[in-house]
Amino acid sequence: MSSQLNETPMLQMKGITKRFPGVLASDNVDFDVRAGEVHTLLGENGAGKSTLMKILYGLYQQDEGEILLNGKVINLTSPANAISHGIGMIHQHFMLVPTLTVAENVSLGLKSTRGVLTDLKTVSKRITEISKSFGLQVYPDEYVWQLSVGERQRVEIIKALYRDASILILDEPTAVLTPSEVDDIFVIFRKLADAGRGLVFISHKLKEVLDLSDRITVLRHGRVTGETTPAQSDRHDLARLMVGRAVKLAPDKPEVATGDALLRIEDLYVAGDRGRHAVQGLTMEVKSGEVLGIAGISGNGQRELAEAIAGLRTPQSGKITINGHDTTFCKPGQVRDVGLSYVPEERMKDGAVGDFDVKENLILLNHNREPFCTNGFLNFSAIRAHSEKLVKEYAVKTPSIDTCTKNLSGGNIQKLIMARELDANPKVLLASQPTRGVDIGAAEYIHERISQQRQNGTASIVISEDLDEVMALSDRIAVMFDGKIMGIVKQEDATRESIGLMMTGEDQEA
Amino acid sequence: MKKLNLCLSAALLAIILIAPSSLLASGKALRVAIIAPSAKNDLAFTQSIVDGIKAIQKDREIELAITDGTFVVEDAAAAIRDYAKKGYDLVLAHGSQYGGSLKEIAPDFPNTSFAWGTSADTFGLANVSSYEAASDEGGYVMGVMAAAMSKKGGVGVVGPIEVGDAKLYVDGFVKGAKAQNAKIRAKVNYIGSFSDVALAAEAARAHMAAGADVLTGTAQMVVGAIGAARAKRVAWFGTQANQTELAPEIVVASQVYKWEVILRKIIADMDAGIKGGKKYEINLANNGIVIEFNDAYKLDAAVKEAGMKAMAGIKDGSIQSGASH
Amino acid sequence: MSDSFAVMIIVATIASGIRLATPFLLASLGEALGQRSGVLNLGVDGVMLLGAFGAYYAVLQTSNLYLGLLVGIGLGLLIGLFYAFITLNLHAEQGVSGIGIYLFGLGMSDLLFQKLVGTPRPILPFMPLEIPVLSGFPIVGEMLFQHSIIVYIAFALVPIMSFVLHRTTYGLNVRAIGENPEAADSLGVSVMFTRYSAIIIGNGLAGLAGAALAIELGIFQQNLTNAMGFIAIALVYFGAWSPKGVMIGSLVFGLVQSIVLQCKTFGVIPRSASDLASMAPAIITILALVVVAKRFKQPSALTKPYVRGG
Repeated sequence: MSSQLNETPMLQMKGITKRFPGVLASDNVDFDVRAGEVHTLLGENGAGKSTLMKILYGLYQQDEGEILLNGKVINLTSPANAISHGIGMIHQHFMLVPTLTVAENVSLGLKSTRGVLTDLKTVSKRITEISKSFGLQVYPDEYVWQLSVGERQRVEIIKALYRDASILILDEPTAVLTPSEVDDIFVIFRKLADAGRGLVFISHKLKEVLDLSDRITVLRHGRVTGETTPAQSDRHDLARLMVGRAVKLAPDKPEVATGDALLRIEDLYVAGDRGRHAVQGLTMEVKSGEVLGIAGISGNGQRELAEAIAGLRTPQSGKITINGHDTTFCKPGQVRDVGLSYVPEERMKDGAVGDFDVKENLILLNHNREPFCTNGFLNFSAIRAHSEKLVKEYAVKTPSIDTCTKNLSGGNIQKLIMARELDANPKVLLASQPTRGVDIGAAEYIHERISQQRQNGTASIVISEDLDEVMALSDRIAVMFDGKIMGIVKQEDATRESIGLMMTGEDQEA
Repeated sequence: MKKLNLCLSAALLAIILIAPSSLLASGKALRVAIIAPSAKNDLAFTQSIVDGIKAIQKDREIELAITDGTFVVEDAAAAIRDYAKKGYDLVLAHGSQYGGSLKEIAPDFPNTSFAWGTSADTFGLANVSSYEAASDEGGYVMGVMAAAMSKKGGVGVVGPIEVGDAKLYVDGFVKGAKAQNAKIRAKVNYIGSFSDVALAAEAARAHMAAGADVLTGTAQMVVGAIGAARAKRVAWFGTQANQTELAPEIVVASQVYKWEVILRKIIADMDAGIKGGKKYEINLANNGIVIEFNDAYKLDAAVKEAGMKAMAGIKDGSIQSGASH
Repeated sequence: MSDSFAVMIIVATIASGIRLATPFLLASLGEALGQRSGVLNLGVDGVMLLGAFGAYYAVLQTSNLYLGLLVGIGLGLLIGLFYAFITLNLHAEQGVSGIGIYLFGLGMSDLLFQKLVGTPRPILPFMPLEIPVLSGFPIVGEMLFQHSIIVYIAFALVPIMSFVLHRTTYGLNVRAIGENPEAADSLGVSVMFTRYSAIIIGNGLAGLAGAALAIELGIFQQNLTNAMGFIAIALVYFGAWSPKGVMIGSLVFGLVQSIVLQCKTFGVIPRSASDLASMAPAIITILALVVVAKRFKQPSALTKPYVRGG
């Protein structure tokens, strides 16, 4: 398959099997990395990517199989051990200490030239050298808590390079980056590969995988389901290998005539948790039959905006109108009564009660109303019938409606919440990060459902960090930055580049 | 049996478990339980009551159980109830902070005699007696001597909290000192704690810095004050027990409680069928309070003389030692 | 009151505050080290009590004060080892097991005292060690340089601990592990070793604090520490986990105590308000905690056991 078959890989994992109680996390997996290439490990959450890489980084030990470095079998018992073999890892959740400086973070675990004393000067000097040679700009004396997400990632990479890592494991490195940051970091990744390192890229974002990889290995349920290259495959092929069937990556969007504005927000100010304005003078409206996507990096006021609309956070000033009613200072229940359905960002915290069973979560909003409740007593036969219907209609995969909700997969919990919210026939649907951490199959289904709301005449808002999702679902796209809308563009006029620029605070006109 | 009295509740449990079998063996022994806030050998308040019972044990068979160190009132209440349940004849709740608990518990055990102190309140209950010490009397006598021996004209008192026995003693001491020398600077420092030894030490140092050359103090935290006084060789008057052992160089004399004087009365009343309802007091006149001098301390004869005169005056009623007497 | 007398009283009050602050300082330095590594120890008071009894008993037997200090430290180290084992290896809940250590220390120190000593007998404390030249200065000399050696040790430990935390690789490891043990582990720093050592040293300091107390007072009795260990824990929060901060906290606490004491001695505080005034140090500490400590964040990994990959 590859043009470099004659070369011995730097690293080979042969027949790796790892079992956890009740789960076969890795099933006889073969994987290798050659010098100078980016080899992607693609798969859904729970497909076994992380397990494999944790084995490679010495955090777990395999039950079966062997790991060869430059043809020799090695035994990786700890991260320190992996580091000493030249294996470095850029973790998805940054392994940085926010209260320490960049130099202190890099020097952690290194042998100091000054014995028991730290030698931050030497470390800082080398950090600057590395940062220059790869274009990774960081300042050694800055505290990590002061850094942006992109800067933190650079520190992570420098940490690995400082330890002379010849093999770099990149665990979902773009999860928290803006599109332009992704472009920048990909240039650096390529540079690192060209300099003779072997890179393992872990991702589930198909576009990025195709952009960056030399080779792609796809995992499903702990097993390798295919090895390919970007030249030989497209997004649909990859999705099929990941999910095991053909997947529609964007929902059908038949033309729908839009109607009146059902959600209107005027000059809204909302305070964040730390007191400062999180939403600053935001104005927008969403019409019946349209989907407005709100793109932006997390932490730019999206959560506060959603909570203000849902009545969970009292605005400081401004006006929110839902379906003709002023709901600015309404309680969540009152907002729902005028026609809002809300799919919150934190599904296990705000969306469903983990310890309740499926049927209880499905009637959570109406449990005190007819027909589920008569004179204060729950009417179980009505509840069961209703729940069975919804579970079937929304394809929630659950052993029964009596199953404890927290035992379901993320995708099925999200479908359950969608079922409950959409069953209310909302005038306005507010969905926050509707497919975050959800497998492709479920995401496909959820996208389909949101798209269908257009025909029902619902005004929908989808807040998402995933630009592909926003592009696929929306009729119009608003970009939020620092509590403000930087601009609203029609879907057909939007490009990843223009939206990406707005996400970093560049004005639409600029 | 007597050796088992440890402060840990585990050991207390052992006592309770073993007690019935030894009772069968000993026949008619009077069963007495003591619940007290500090250690039974604290050279102060708790030791005084233990020593009292032990003095009676010389001529009467008494089975004694002690739960000491119960500075937590709830623990003490549990112990009081427990002893009553186990059928002890006399339960001594030795701490004025235990009154509230006793008031609740005693009516449940009409056949048990309870006594508590220091207090003068029997709650109108037929099976509760109260006892107190006229500690102002010894305080007065020692105050007289302290003022008589002070060269700088200053005496200092370290107290815990201004209540009960401590207040009586301190007031008596100050009154005695002023009676001896109207111009004496008698400073009192209630440190706000019965157990803060370090603070008591600093209180003594503060008195010394302010010009006191004779000190006294009451309650179990004064061991710290005695240590501080000893380091500067400043004279000390003790109370509640003979404190000579703590600092032989500086302890002039100690007011010692002989609780056996009233404990004998309580037991005699019990033998006569009176379970309680009476108030008892130890004082100089009934020899329940005595002043024990430290023979090793070279005390000026005139000073001792003044003290003896005051003692005689209190006994014959010509001197009023305390505000409440 | 003459001026020189007033000066003398002020000097005595400050010296008294410094003495009172010393056991708090030692104990809270130890607790701060443990917490910086991410482990809470609520058993400080129990460790202090055992250290206090151990030191007292050793001095009673040998009259060697330095041996007493060593015994106090040694007992602290030993309990530290035990506490590290139950919290780090067995993942015991730190709040609860700390209280267990406290109750053990409270009961055990008293039991040993009753069994081995019985009636309290005094020991001779350290004589004040006058620092040559410095102690001769008027006012400052008496205030700062005529203390027992333990006071100097305690205050010398402040810059030493700062240096260790901020200038050594060990200190860097401690700070990192208290915030993000995963990060440290992923770079090959041993979370176990670092936490074990921090807890053991921290408890050693608590033992030393107890020893210092018993030796300074020249006596032991039940519950000698009177819950000082718990105040020391509060002072760690007050001091925002920095050695300098806990030193300031300890000094504030000690000085407020000594000032209140002095005011009572001179009747500045009326007898009727005496008990209320006794609460001043605690109240001021709580207020300071609310005002000051709110601005600082505790080590992120505090009380959280670390399991690799977990």
